[in-house]
Amino acid sequence: MSASGSIGGTARREPHTPESTIGRKADYLHAESTLRSWFLTTDHKRIAILYLVSITGFFVIGALAAGVVRLALVVPNGAIMTNDTYNKAFTIHGVVMVWFFLIPSIPATFGNFLIPLMIGAKDLAFPKLNLTSWYVFMAGALFTLVSVVLGGVDTGWTFYAPLSTAFSNTWVLPALIGVTIVGFSSILTGLNFVVTIHTMRAPGMTWFKLPIFVWAHYATSLIFLLATPVITTALILLIAERAFHIGVFDPAYGGDPVLFQHLFWFYSHPAVYIMVLPGMGVISEIVPAFAQKKLFGYRFVAYASIGLASVTFFVWGHHMFVNGQSDLASLVFSALSFAVAVPSAVKVYNWTATIHKGSLRLDTPMLYAMGYIGLFVLGGLTGLYLATLAINQHIHATYFVVAHFHYIMVGGTVLAFLGGLHFWWPKFTGRMYSEPWGRVSAMLIFLGFNVTFFPQFILGYLGMPRRYATYPAEFQLLNVLSSAGATILAAGYIFPMLYLVYSLWFGRKAPANPWNAKGLEWETASPPPTHNFLTPPEVPRIPYDYPIQAQESRDQHG
Amino acid sequence: MSQPLADGVGVARAEHFESIAQQRAAATLGIWAWLITELLLFSALFLVALITRIQHPEATVAAAKHLKFWIGATNTVVLICSSLTMSMAIEFSRMGWQRAMVRAMLATAALGGLFLVLKGYEYYADWDEHMMPFLSSRPFALAETPAARLFVNLYYVATLLHALHLFTGIALLLGMTWMAAKAGFLARHQNWIEIYGLYWHFIDLVWILAFPILYVVNR
Repeated sequence: MSASGSIGGTARREPHTPESTIGRKADYLHAESTLRSWFLTTDHKRIAILYLVSITGFFVIGALAAGVVRLALVVPNGAIMTNDTYNKAFTIHGVVMVWFFLIPSIPATFGNFLIPLMIGAKDLAFPKLNLTSWYVFMAGALFTLVSVVLGGVDTGWTFYAPLSTAFSNTWVLPALIGVTIVGFSSILTGLNFVVTIHTMRAPGMTWFKLPIFVWAHYATSLIFLLATPVITTALILLIAERAFHIGVFDPAYGGDPVLFQHLFWFYSHPAVYIMVLPGMGVISEIVPAFAQKKLFGYRFVAYASIGLASVTFFVWGHHMFVNGQSDLASLVFSALSFAVAVPSAVKVYNWTATIHKGSLRLDTPMLYAMGYIGLFVLGGLTGLYLATLAINQHIHATYFVVAHFHYIMVGGTVLAFLGGLHFWWPKFTGRMYSEPWGRVSAMLIFLGFNVTFFPQFILGYLGMPRRYATYPAEFQLLNVLSSAGATILAAGYIFPMLYLVYSLWFGRKAPANPWNAKGLEWETASPPPTHNFLTPPEVPRIPYDYPIQAQESRDQHG
Repeated sequence: MSQPLADGVGVARAEHFESIAQQRAAATLGIWAWLITELLLFSALFLVALITRIQHPEATVAAAKHLKFWIGATNTVVLICSSLTMSMAIEFSRMGWQRAMVRAMLATAALGGLFLVLKGYEYYADWDEHMMPFLSSRPFALAETPAARLFVNLYYVATLLHALHLFTGIALLLGMTWMAAKAGFLARHQNWIEIYGLYWHFIDLVWILAFPILYVVNR
């Protein structure tokens, strides 16, 4: 970059907001307005909006269930509700949040909307399949939701045998069938992304010009394809076991309940990366845009995505350190789990190196991104405690685990989801949200999250087990603190829902590129026309071609 | 594409693709990706069956001796023949021989149907010999060996899942044959035959894996 050398450390921004483009008839939101045009659409952008509305609904349901759980734990003796109600509440929370919010969250919404835009394509490779995946998702998810609400399933989201097969008297069977169906929607989405990224890239868009968001979704899609079928088999066997007592998870017939855990975690550990990798992709887009600086170590971040997606298939045993697994197996799984830290750290260091000496602007998406980085580090490092065999013995199945994965799932994925939602909101809707409200909410969520979950690390360290409706009285203070934090967190979630919806009608009209960001999605209008680009987009010479570049990048690209 | 297509045979381009070659590449990669997921689905099941066999060798062999080896073997031949007729349908589609293609597709569906009939007869014979341990109302012939019960139940899960794939495959094939018999089909949708053929061969392949894992244990 010859130009970048002369501008030193300051970023160039456009002095005037470019003209808005929302008035044009051709954009995808205003092309047609009948219900039919939404429910039978094959436009990836509209399908993304369908997903966005649905998963927001599931998020609200899951959050309400979490509220019930935190309410129950305000008192130590379980006086607020019966133990059965408590079990059902945490099952609804887990099932809805994991299967119907976190797994589809970023891929099915942002991935669906942005991958074709980012690679310069008119749509995903299989638009009808894309719509089908939404219907499959809704059918399975609503079926399960009705089951867990009416029948009150009490197994937790993991459906461990033999509780789920022999002992639970609740509607486990319909819940399992629904979750199995939802799996097919994941497979179809992953398949569509893999094929699209392989075959639909615009001329000149080579693999190493792809945004990290696309790399992250490619890695995620591979996990969708290679792990989801195994959970389908596990769930089919679980359904057969519960309905017909086939014996596969029952020691009385030569089966083994731990076998279910192996099959379950062979999917569900990689599924953690289905939830995390897309968030990493979002952060890798936000950080360079708000630092106005080229992403540091682009290739390393891309390889780290694939690295995480590969290593994650070989660490499932760390969920079973205390379940009678052999010492050798535990040792190997422990060592491999430590290896996960390497690509994770590569990403964190590259984000922080991108921020270093950048021209920072702390708008809402960047606040979420910085929150993400901090919380992800804390969540990731506590994962190393859990991967250590000796320490795991003490904190296995305690609130330490609960806090750890909420730091990754909420502090990581949900913050990335909200950051991405604000970052691309102008692109999705053609409107700007309220920046002051955005910043206030981002900080409320950060505060509320930490007040809710940090005490749980301490509770777990002190030995409070998870999934119990009662606890010793000396834990009450920390539990009340955690529940109080949950109310702050709830307020932080409610604000965005209000001001984002408000902005749909009353927000300032958005220009094509409000953040002065790089990437093909910002080249087209906000909101984009039905076929994404009116003229074929010009693929840039290098990815993340921001005004500021680190010394190594300048040397490399001359 | 391994070989050139005859005149008047090809694919109509969908508007979101830039070229026919891109559309074909996407379809081919898509079906292979789908087949990999299907392979994993069955692999997990076969793995569980193999684990059972390793953990309980005597009970597994005793149970496998009750399976109808010769019906299974015949069915293997039937499915391999159906893959042959499907391959012929693909060749005919490339050459533009529409009538021959439709007949080959009908033959494929008929062989698939024959497989299901034989399989159904086998299930009936199993029922007759009290080899349906998952039915709580009917006593099991090998009740004294619990692991035999497990293996036989896994046999039903695996073969029913395969039969479900085959049934879906036949339904799709008949629907496509009905469309393929109309004029102009090969000019617009020759690709469908190629893509579908891969799925049919895959169903065949799964049976070729299932047969030794479930039946040949008793030889």
